[in-house]
Amino acid sequence: MNLPSIEISSRLITLLATLMLMLQLLLVVQRMLISNIRLFALQSLLLAVIAAVVAYVYGAWHVLFVAVLTLLGKVIFLPWLLQRLVRRIKIEEEIHPFLGMPASMLICGALTVLSYVVARPFTSLARLGNNTLPVALALLLTGLFLMINRRKAITQVLALLTTENGMMLAAIALTTYGMPLVVEIGIFFDVVVAVMVLGILVFRIRESFDSMDVSKLNELKG
Amino acid sequence: MNPDPLAVLAQTVLLIVLAPLLSGLIKNWKAKLQNRRGARIWQPYLDFVKYLRKDMVISEHASWIFRVAPWVIFLTALVAGLMVPLVTAQAPLGLFGGALAVVGVLALGRFFMALGGLDPATTFGGMGSSREMTIAALAEPAMMLAIFTVATMAGSTNLGQIVLAEQEPGWKFLDAPHALAFAAMFIVLLAETGRIPVDNPSTHLELTMIHEAMALEYSGRSLAFVEWGAAIKQLVLMALLANLFFPLGLAPGVTLASFGAGLAFLAAKLLVLAGAVVLVEFTNSKLRLFRVPDLLSAAFMLGTLALVSTFLFR
Repeated sequence: MNLPSIEISSRLITLLATLMLMLQLLLVVQRMLISNIRLFALQSLLLAVIAAVVAYVYGAWHVLFVAVLTLLGKVIFLPWLLQRLVRRIKIEEEIHPFLGMPASMLICGALTVLSYVVARPFTSLARLGNNTLPVALALLLTGLFLMINRRKAITQVLALLTTENGMMLAAIALTTYGMPLVVEIGIFFDVVVAVMVLGILVFRIRESFDSMDVSKLNELKG
Repeated sequence: MNPDPLAVLAQTVLLIVLAPLLSGLIKNWKAKLQNRRGARIWQPYLDFVKYLRKDMVISEHASWIFRVAPWVIFLTALVAGLMVPLVTAQAPLGLFGGALAVVGVLALGRFFMALGGLDPATTFGGMGSSREMTIAALAEPAMMLAIFTVATMAGSTNLGQIVLAEQEPGWKFLDAPHALAFAAMFIVLLAETGRIPVDNPSTHLELTMIHEAMALEYSGRSLAFVEWGAAIKQLVLMALLANLFFPLGLAPGVTLASFGAGLAFLAAKLLVLAGAVVLVEFTNSKLRLFRVPDLLSAAFMLGTLALVSTFLFR
């Protein structure tokens, strides 16, 4: 483990984290549901690559396990599940957010700057390139904003998943070696199960309200 | 610094010759992806020669602006191209303001393109001009922000010095601000060259055309210069993107060997970039005109974040 390889890997991780942030911003602009799911899969793939790089460079092999788990679960399984759900309930493809695209873009930009400012005191701690923690925070905040901004249940599930991507990134960035394996597996299966339950829930909402618009849940049904 | 006449001549010839080949290549690849055979890549040359031979039909209501505009479009694209480092790190014309001058000269060309569309007073021309200016007003700030990011990191707006500063060891071009600025610049490239999410270069459908609507009244020699100018502008923007963000293979001095190596690197980078543009065109559908600001606001935001993050990491 010589110095240049760490230097290069830290650059690489910074770059990949930035690409994750970029994909998140594209998620905000993208209106088509299927493209949204694909963008999320791509973002998870980047996360898996980051985890693999960390595992390789620092010899932390349980992080490699996380990488494989992310690859199987969030790049292949969950997008497949969500796409199947979209096809099965035959919803319209377009997302109708509450705020327009330029306004939400501005808000997400502000949130990203905020996370850069907040994470600034910690940047000297992170050995893995000083950009990863702010990006993780930005993913978390913009994911929350996306959840608030979108009407349909399935798009909110997607936003939850990107939030979780941000958390994973923070775990890898902050501690260098990731959290203990048990915790990571716990979080991971939590999310997978949550998405599956939410999928069934979305299906049920659709069955009884003829729509996935969560604001209709206020209406009483006998 | 005095411009070297030989370098100016070489780069002018390179720009004029390479530009139609690049647009022909993009058209050909796009056709291949759509399962068509496509025109050969040197087809634009034949088109231009054909246009040059034909007579011009000019509306009797058109003024001198209509006649002058094609020359201005062609020459501004060429001058902007001379200020961009193409094969060596030093651009032949680096005298006034570097990156800012490139953006300004390109804006002058666009201004005359819009005037040329308005002047014969056809409805399509006016519509195209108004759309072009709308998009330009949104794309230009994003482009400025992306260029400012690179300039701030290099400490100079001179494109040659930016390229040299990036070539220092340390893989500077992998930095986060660079990646964000690159993304912003790529979206701007799609908008400025009239590529598919913004404008469709291969249609004359009245609802969608932007560049084509402005060029609709031109014929013969003027059309050749308008189209050739657009091709050169595309080459200039793509070379700017390639050389500013991936400054590999650009030698500081001019020797025959470095010139050849620079040319090979430029060709490789342009091929990769053209492939990316073709892929984007192939996988996306054209956006509705009122959705274009969404895309460009994303570019603007990426540019802003890039610039902000350069200051946060000081």
